[in-house]
Amino acid sequence: MGLLYDLSNKYKTLSIVGMAKNAGKTTALNFLIEEAMDEGIVLGITSTGRDGETQDLVTGTEKPRVYLDQGTLVSVPSQLFGLADAGLEILRRTKYSTAIGELLICKVQDAGYVQIAGPVINSETKKLCQDMFGLGCDLVMIDGAIDRKTIASPETSDAIILATGAVLSRSMKKVVEETAHVVHLYGLPEFDENDKVTEFIRQDNYEHIIAFNDKGEGKVLDLVTGLGAARYIDDAIEEDTRYIFIPGAFTNSVVADITNKHLKQVEFILKDPTKIFVNIMDWSQLRKRGFKVKVLKNIEIAAITVNPWSPQGYTFDSDVLIEEMRKLIPDMPIIDVRK
Amino acid sequence: MADNKNTAIAQVDLTQVKPYGDALNDGKVEMAFTLPVPYGEEAEECAKQYVKKLGFQEPNVTYYHELTPGFTFFVVYGSAQQTIDYTAINVPKVEGTVMDRVECGEWIGEHIGRDIVVVGASIESDAHTVGIDAIIQMKGFHGHFGLERFKHVVPYNMGSQVPCEELIAKAKEVNADAILVSQTVTQKDIHIIQLTKMEELLEAEGLRDKIILTCGGPRISHELAQELGYDAGFGPGKYAEHVMSFIMQEVEKRGWQNKPNIADR
Repeated sequence: MGLLYDLSNKYKTLSIVGMAKNAGKTTALNFLIEEAMDEGIVLGITSTGRDGETQDLVTGTEKPRVYLDQGTLVSVPSQLFGLADAGLEILRRTKYSTAIGELLICKVQDAGYVQIAGPVINSETKKLCQDMFGLGCDLVMIDGAIDRKTIASPETSDAIILATGAVLSRSMKKVVEETAHVVHLYGLPEFDENDKVTEFIRQDNYEHIIAFNDKGEGKVLDLVTGLGAARYIDDAIEEDTRYIFIPGAFTNSVVADITNKHLKQVEFILKDPTKIFVNIMDWSQLRKRGFKVKVLKNIEIAAITVNPWSPQGYTFDSDVLIEEMRKLIPDMPIIDVRK
Repeated sequence: MADNKNTAIAQVDLTQVKPYGDALNDGKVEMAFTLPVPYGEEAEECAKQYVKKLGFQEPNVTYYHELTPGFTFFVVYGSAQQTIDYTAINVPKVEGTVMDRVECGEWIGEHIGRDIVVVGASIESDAHTVGIDAIIQMKGFHGHFGLERFKHVVPYNMGSQVPCEELIAKAKEVNADAILVSQTVTQKDIHIIQLTKMEELLEAEGLRDKIILTCGGPRISHELAQELGYDAGFGPGKYAEHVMSFIMQEVEKRGWQNKPNIADR
């Protein structure tokens, strides 16, 4: 049985997340659609950007088109409806906003090429997935846009397909390292769900920055955001502080000014890995300073797809690239979707 | 004169549009560029051949001079062969009606019943304030006054090279209804990287559906903005009134009239 068969048994919604633009998200999507056709899985397809148009909006490079089989559910904005080559039946009109008109949920009646777009805001994507399940599909796939990674959040999808490729860097080593960094972040250890601390955070509705002492008692800090607040967080760390919960984005400005002693003393708790915006270098520096972090929920990576070809005109040897990836990222299906 | 104009338009085939020079459909295009070759007749020939390679016919170098040893600047005319089907063009635009400054103020007073707070900045590495100033600063741009002159609008202009983190922190602090991000520099698509970062941070902070996120700049279109996850994008020729008209109607659509605080939205 194919990859998708395994995936559809395990997950209901899959996001395709790109490490960069032109990393091969749509190629990966096409690969999975083809698998679904073979397996007889009813797919729902949506996108956080726009898919299936022939030219890229930003770089002007050629983009792969998306071919959908009969029975597939798909979100199409009204202005692109007329451009579809496939026969589409409109099942529902929605209120979600897109750049190109009202968003329609359609069923493919006659297989062919379709231009896909979806809601701009992640919370609306989530609602759209529910709509699609209601209309009878087995698995929803969300195609990401550019390199927007927040779509990977476990709030939106059960698991992700991580699309990476040569476009990241001319150095294969860097491509592999950066991909491994993201895989590492997405697989951060999860905080004990039944702990008092988790309960406190849940009660607070994941809204505030909270400092916990060694008895698990929480103190809500008077900060509107963690961004740029490293100094205040540092001040709030007392002798017995053990954990700091950060509900929002986690950037260098949240931790940079915390002293080494305090960094060693506390453990940070984040909502999920998409909140982390720290590059690989700063991350290892933080680690060296004794920084520890856990997440409430991590992200399941169902598979990694690689694209050894870059639109800048250079390519890597597919076999070598995959082999190098496997060295740093064991136990994960890694596929070249262009093969 | 009027008759002339009518005949000209009658001759235009909008499904096959081509540049206009001296006569309709002659395809004349003027190009200016520099080649890294030494000044001389070989340079002229090089420019000619290059333009020919670009697909232009009858290349004609009308002017060239030496910029610095080893570099020559050219002005070349050529006839373009390609055509565009104008009738098939479809440009997504920001929806809603556009009102002028005074109307905007009155409309907000009537429909929103409170001041609308916006925070704007030119983010990350971009040191250009020209865009954000054109929209926010009192004197505005091209005779279109900025948001500081609008009634019922409280704008904060944070200037340039503002880290995304600071812009978001400010928006949270003042309970902004909308964030305006300006990007003037677009070399190597740096604006795409920075705009994406801004959107992702806002999404991670859990504020994306609590704040209207817009961007603007010379290379930004509404379509691009939406692809990047913004609510609206404003390109060249758009002024404060366009931005405000969109924001205030969006505030009404989302029912934020009685929700000045971000926490309540």
